Amino acid sequence: MESFFVRYRNLVVLLVVLMAQIVGLAVQVRRTEGGRSTLDHRDSSGVRLIRYWAVALVSPPERLIHATGDGIYNLWFGYFDLRHVRQQNQQLQQTIDRLRLEQAELMEDAQQGKRLQQLLGFQEHYVYSTVAAQVYGSSGSDLSKVFFIDKGTANGLKRDMPVISPDGIVGKVREVYPHSAQVLAINDQNSGAGVILETTRIRGVLKGNAAGQLEIVGLMADERIKPGEKVLTAGGDMIFPRGLPVGTVQKVVPDPDRDSFIDVILKPAAHLNRLDEVLVITSTATQMPAQERKDVATSEKLKGAEAAAIAAKAQEQTKASEIMAEHLPSATDPSAYSGLPPQPANAAQNRVAGQGTAAGQANPAAPPVPKLLPTRHPDQFSPNQFSSPGEPAGTEAAPQGSGAPAGRKPTGAGRTR
Amino acid sequence: MSLLGADFRRDFEIRRYPFILYVLIPLAALVLQSWLPRLLGPYTLFDLPLVITIYFALGRRSPIQGTLMGAAMGLFEDAMTQHAIGLSGVAMTVVGFLAASVGVRIDVENHAIRVMMNFVLSLLSSAIYIFVARYMLGLDFDWRWLAELLKAVDNALIALVFFPLLDKLQVRE
Repeated sequence: MESFFVRYRNLVVLLVVLMAQIVGLAVQVRRTEGGRSTLDHRDSSGVRLIRYWAVALVSPPERLIHATGDGIYNLWFGYFDLRHVRQQNQQLQQTIDRLRLEQAELMEDAQQGKRLQQLLGFQEHYVYSTVAAQVYGSSGSDLSKVFFIDKGTANGLKRDMPVISPDGIVGKVREVYPHSAQVLAINDQNSGAGVILETTRIRGVLKGNAAGQLEIVGLMADERIKPGEKVLTAGGDMIFPRGLPVGTVQKVVPDPDRDSFIDVILKPAAHLNRLDEVLVITSTATQMPAQERKDVATSEKLKGAEAAAIAAKAQEQTKASEIMAEHLPSATDPSAYSGLPPQPANAAQNRVAGQGTAAGQANPAAPPVPKLLPTRHPDQFSPNQFSSPGEPAGTEAAPQGSGAPAGRKPTGAGRTR
Repeated sequence: MSLLGADFRRDFEIRRYPFILYVLIPLAALVLQSWLPRLLGPYTLFDLPLVITIYFALGRRSPIQGTLMGAAMGLFEDAMTQHAIGLSGVAMTVVGFLAASVGVRIDVENHAIRVMMNFVLSLLSSAIYIFVARYMLGLDFDWRWLAELLKAVDNALIALVFFPLLDKLQVRE
């Protein structure tokens, strides 16, 4: 017996190690109600301990490399490569001002939408607080789209918290350690998020595929779905708040497993392959955060100042046009500026001016109707040179059959005005 | 007498390294495997821990050591992912055992053999991984054979460059 183990010790060790791992695998997998195998959503304490050891061993040197690389990068871009910074700063300031104005305008719509939602019983969730984190490592496997960030339980992170970037959603926190956390990216095969197409309002489930692409799976074929349409979070998955950008539709492909169903391939809004900094949403609330309220108030104030500036500019322009008009008295009827109604010279002019008068009656503040100078060599296109059949003599009537159609009259009136 | 001769030859050909390298090189492989995807993005189609496992298994020529090293590296790799712990472990255990077993019989100094060994064992590792995940555990799991093929090619090229460098670290008596 002893000789058997000595003789086949290599194979025995191999079988023992393999069996131990296979038993360990079997413990981690469970059957769903649908009869499919899946991994436990939460790791058991033993598995968690192995993961913790691995992260504790690999993370410190990895973070050291990351910090060294960042240090060199910051040294270069923070001190030596400062060209155009002032110009960029001015451009960014202008962008901030513009965005504040746009934000204030959008807030009006949002507040109106919120009031309607309250009427319907919905409740909006604002991103109330976030924690900024640096990405310092990944799983290292092309079959596993997870990465590690340098914030953990010490910073208030918990499992299933959404992770976003300024461009769009990134993933969710899968495992949390004291000073680091593992994030499952949205393009992993095991991820899932509820999404909605922006214009067609079609809802679906977002998943990653083997190629690391984002796809909305199991949609009924719908020809309204076109490339370029934006996709947002739907808010129904209890992870991501509603309305965050996910990506844009890249192409629509038939579902390989089911007829009349399609998969929609997306181009992610966030740069999932080159993430440096991310935000972990640590809490949401039905109230807008204080900082955001302050920003909105600033935007509203700026918007008022902008409106006043636009009004002042318009007034200045009006004055300038009046001064210009005074310096060109022959081009207009002097009586127009005295507040008197214009004096038509003939019947045709009467008819044309009549529209202006009618308009003037409808709107007392309408601009005065100028009197045009007589044309030296009139033709059928000259003002006041057309008339309807039976027009009294004395007018410079257009030839029969070549009169301007009725639709042309407003043009003449517009020109007169 | 002939047996003693073979054992002596095998012992003579076994490579020995400073003990610290058995810790530092696998650790460096694990750290780089985790860190490099941040730089290379989607072009990270290689498996440094697997290459290191094959290197030590070929050099040491001990199936038990190859098995244990493969298992340890595989478990660490699994622990860094969200997948079940043991998937890479099983694959790399088998690879470590086979590399060490083959290493007894072939000339491991030959570069062409090294490249071929890395290519074949990388493909075998991918095949075992997918077989265990998909067919033994029944997990809903997709893969791309082209990516696995490219990974095997990359591993072979990395081995071609790094094996001679690692050879210089061995203890020569």
